[in-house]
Order: sequence, then C-alpha cells, then structure tokens
Amino acid sequence: RDLAAGPEMQFGFQTVTEEERREKIYQVFESVAKKYDVMNDSMTLGIHRVWKDILMHKMNPSPGTLLLDVAGGTGDIAFRFINYVSSVRERQLQRKLKHHQNLSWQEIFESYQKDKFNSLGDSQVVVCDINREMLKVGKQKAQHLGYSEGLSWVLGNAEELPFDNDKFDVYTIAFGIRNVTRIDLALQEAYRVLKPGGRFLCLEFSHVSNPLLSRLYDLYSFQVIPVLGEVIAGDWKSYQYLVESIRQFPPQEELKAMIEDAGFFKVDYENLSFGIVAIHSGFKL
Amino acid sequence: VRCQHYPPLRALQASAALRRASDEHKKEPLTSSSQQHFDSPPAGHQPEQEPQGPRPSYTGQGGQESEDYESEEQLQHRILTAALEFVPEHGWTAEAIAEGAKTLGLSVAAAGMFHSDGSELILHFMSECNTKLSELLEKEQKLVQLGEAEKKPIDEFLRHAVEARLRMLIPYIEKWPQALSVLLLPRNIPSSLNLLTSMIDDIWHYAGDQSTDFNWYTRRAVLTGIYNTTELVMMQDSSPDFEDTWRFLENRVADAMAMSNTASQVQSTGEAVVQGLMGAAVTVSN
Repeated sequence: RDLAAGPEMQFGFQTVTEEERREKIYQVFESVAKKYDVMNDSMTLGIHRVWKDILMHKMNPSPGTLLLDVAGGTGDIAFRFINYVSSVRERQLQRKLKHHQNLSWQEIFESYQKDKFNSLGDSQVVVCDINREMLKVGKQKAQHLGYSEGLSWVLGNAEELPFDNDKFDVYTIAFGIRNVTRIDLALQEAYRVLKPGGRFLCLEFSHVSNPLLSRLYDLYSFQVIPVLGEVIAGDWKSYQYLVESIRQFPPQEELKAMIEDAGFFKVDYENLSFGIVAIHSGFKL
Repeated sequence: VRCQHYPPLRALQASAALRRASDEHKKEPLTSSSQQHFDSPPAGHQPEQEPQGPRPSYTGQGGQESEDYESEEQLQHRILTAALEFVPEHGWTAEAIAEGAKTLGLSVAAAGMFHSDGSELILHFMSECNTKLSELLEKEQKLVQLGEAEKKPIDEFLRHAVEARLRMLIPYIEKWPQALSVLLLPRNIPSSLNLLTSMIDDIWHYAGDQSTDFNWYTRRAVLTGIYNTTELVMMQDSSPDFEDTWRFLENRVADAMAMSNTASQVQSTGEAVVQGLMGAAVTVSN
C-alpha cells in the first residue's frame, strides 16, 4: 500500500497508476457532487454533522482567523466556521458594550455602528477544492443559506496549493485527505501555507481497534453503504470506492507520523465514535 | 510515505517560529529565572541546524545538538507570559492566550495548544509568582546574612511574605475570582495544590526554624489557612491599597502565634490533668 513506490497505487482495492487514480477520483466526485450531502446524512445517520461540529469546537477560532478549508467542496466546514466566529464576535461586542456604561447614548450608538459592519471580526474562510462540480454545489448552497461575507471559493489541488507561504491561521481538510494521491505533498503544502503558530486539522475516517465493533462496522460498510449509494445516488461504484478507500487509508499512528514528517509539532489525534473517525492536529512552530 | 530529504528552504521554515524565538531571546535581557537561556550562537550560524522535535532528521553542521533551539515547552512558556498582559481585558481565557501569541508574531491559532478554559495560563502565572517570591525572600535572606538588615521576628516575616505574594495578584485582581474557580476543577486540583504547598514550604524555609511547638504539618496547615483566607478577603476588599486585607492578615498571624502558645499551655495542662487522674485512680483502687 506504499503510495509513492513507483507508478502503481490503490484506487480502493484496485491497483492503478498515479494519473489514473487522480482521474478516477475526480470522476467519483463529479458524479456524486449533487447528492453528496444527502448521502453523507444517510450513510452516517446524520452523525457526520456532529463530527464536524466537534472539529469546529476543537478549533475554537477567534474572530480575525483566516481559515483554509481544503477539499472543502460543499462547504460544511466553512459554514460552521462562519457561524462559530460570528457568535463569538457577538459575545465580544456584548461584553464591550457592558463596559461602556458611563458613555452617553450617542457614543454607545456610534460604537455599535462601527462594529456592525464587522460581524465576523475580519475572519475569513477560503474553500479550496480540486473538483469543479463540488465547488459549484458549495456555491449554490451558500447562496441558498445566505452566506456571503468572509467566504471565497478557489479551484486548487491540495498537492500544489495556489497560495503564498505563511498565509493562513488554520488549515482544515475534512474527509478529503483520503482522496489525495500524494498525501505527503499535501501535508507539505499545508505546512507551507500556514503562518508560524498556525494549526493543521484533519478530520478523516480511521481505524477501529475494537474487534467486535470493527466487524459490525465492516458489515455495515460493505453491505449497506454501496446499496444506499445505488438507491439514493444511483451510483454503486463510487460508494464502493469510498468504503474501500477508508480501509486503505493509514491508521491513526501512521498518519500522525506522516504529519510529524512534514514538520508539524505537538501532533495529536482524537478518536471519535470509537475510531471510525479521527481528528489529527498539529502546529507549525 | 516518508520524504527522503528536505529542500533547504523547508528546513528554514521548519523551525521558523522556534528559531525566531531564539533570535528574540538574544535581544532580551536575562530576566526571569524560569526561562532557559542558551549561549547565543555567532551571527553566521546556520539554518541547517537540527530542529528540536520528534523527527529523526539530519544532524546540523558539526553535529551540534539542538540546544540553541528552544523546545515546544519553552515556546509555550513565552506565549503564556505574553498572554498575561491581556488578562485584565479578556480574563483567563483562550482569547488572552491568542492575543499573547499574536504579540510574539505567531498565529492566533497557536492558542489551540492550550485548554480553552485558560487553566495553563493560570497555573503558569501562579508558578511565576512563586518563583518571584522565592527570589525576593532569597535576596532578603542574603541581606540578613551580610548583616545589612535585621532578622524579622517570625510573625512579621510571615506577614511580609504573604503580603508580598498576594500583592502580585493586584494587577489581575478583577479576574482572579474566575481563576480561583478554574483552579477548583478536578483536572487542575493536583497542580494547583502542588503549587500552593510548595509556596508555603518555601515561606517556612526562609522563615527558618523558629522555636514554636508547631510540628511540621501544623505549620503548613496553619499558614495555608492564613494564606487562603486572606486571599478570599482580598477579593472582596475595596479599601485603599487593600489596607483592610493587610489588617486581616495581621490578626490571623497574631491568632496563629497565640494559638501556638495556647497549644503548649494546653499540652502541659493536659499532662498535669492526666497525672492527676492517674493519681486519683491509683488512690481509688487502693
């Protein structure tokens, strides 16, 4: 399963060349883009929302944070980020107002006005994805849900990001790194674009160590998910790929070592749902 | 997949924040003893040094060890120290830590290295205060030894030490109640208790062995009680320069001194009573 050894690599359980793999993955996501969110909900019984919420809590971004969400496709992480910083910002403003108790009404009104146009506190999120279809769905969702401020959409490859060095405070990649063909390159790019002190966060399917749960999980994955894929999205093969790629992905400790290799410090991981999913975190120090 | 080598540019960035920290260190005067200082390398010293960290990479030129680089812990210390400046405004929170990180040129995301309830910040502050107290008491002890100052009687010494330590809270007094409640979290109790007892031990150490009838545990317990109650009084004190608090402190220390006398009186009285009873018992049995 050595991804860098020669041109042969894994696409799920198939062996393909690097280029074939990139193409196949592009096609997978092109085909599932419109039903991506629906499928997420039905496969994980809605739990993926909780996982993403936990990721946001772990990040605990303060207003003014610049976030790069790679493989962010349909915008789940980006929207959560915007919600989080605007509520933190609101609390901040309320606290400031409480301190202004000796000011006149006029002054209070003016200070409120100034901050009114800064409801995100200068926070920004850039959603970067390699797949046009996913970005399209994301942009439509944003419009539909009313997200506009502090949000940008960029087409780009995680292995070669179109950004300068030392730009971002936080880099996230949620359920995306599994689909990157050269993970080491993606990690190096993450390191490059982060500011010193910046944080790398990766939310990804991982390995369940408990043997009983592992059996149940395998059963569910291989018997139920592709069927759901066929019924809901009309696409058995893409979801077969999904399930296989999860099995092929390095387990928690191995991914931790890879992140350390890229130069990150204080690398750690947190298992969610008994290891079905794990959040890896590292800092550029 | 492991990379076989790093291009030199990456090596530079690999320890950008840590090395930069070491550069800043060269400019700062040596202050707090809690920082570890390393010899400043000559100016032409180079970037291909081995960065401190878990990676098994190349050794630097001349095989020098990574002592010139600060460790993650030292960087964390520096961030926490920088964060203290923002505590009066933001409280003992991750926000204060984020602001502190910003002043060091780091991203606000660096605050993610710490708990979001500010525990580490508070513990760091306590430990810094304890260090400052020790240094102060050490200095004064030297003066006494050199004959340049009078040795204080025990009650005055205790009052002086506790007051000095509590005065360090004054810049943060508004947010200190919040800190106290965070220190009571089960997770933090071992560390906070540890810091408290080592501070009390320190004070007794510099107070020297005075002739009282207290045994070691009682001494610790009594002074801890004095310190904690005075701290709580201070939280509620609005008198100018906390004079009510210092008066409270004076009274508590006086109580403790009196108690020690009473205790020894009680002890001798108790012994006398026991002897009397024994005598009566012997008489009765005959």
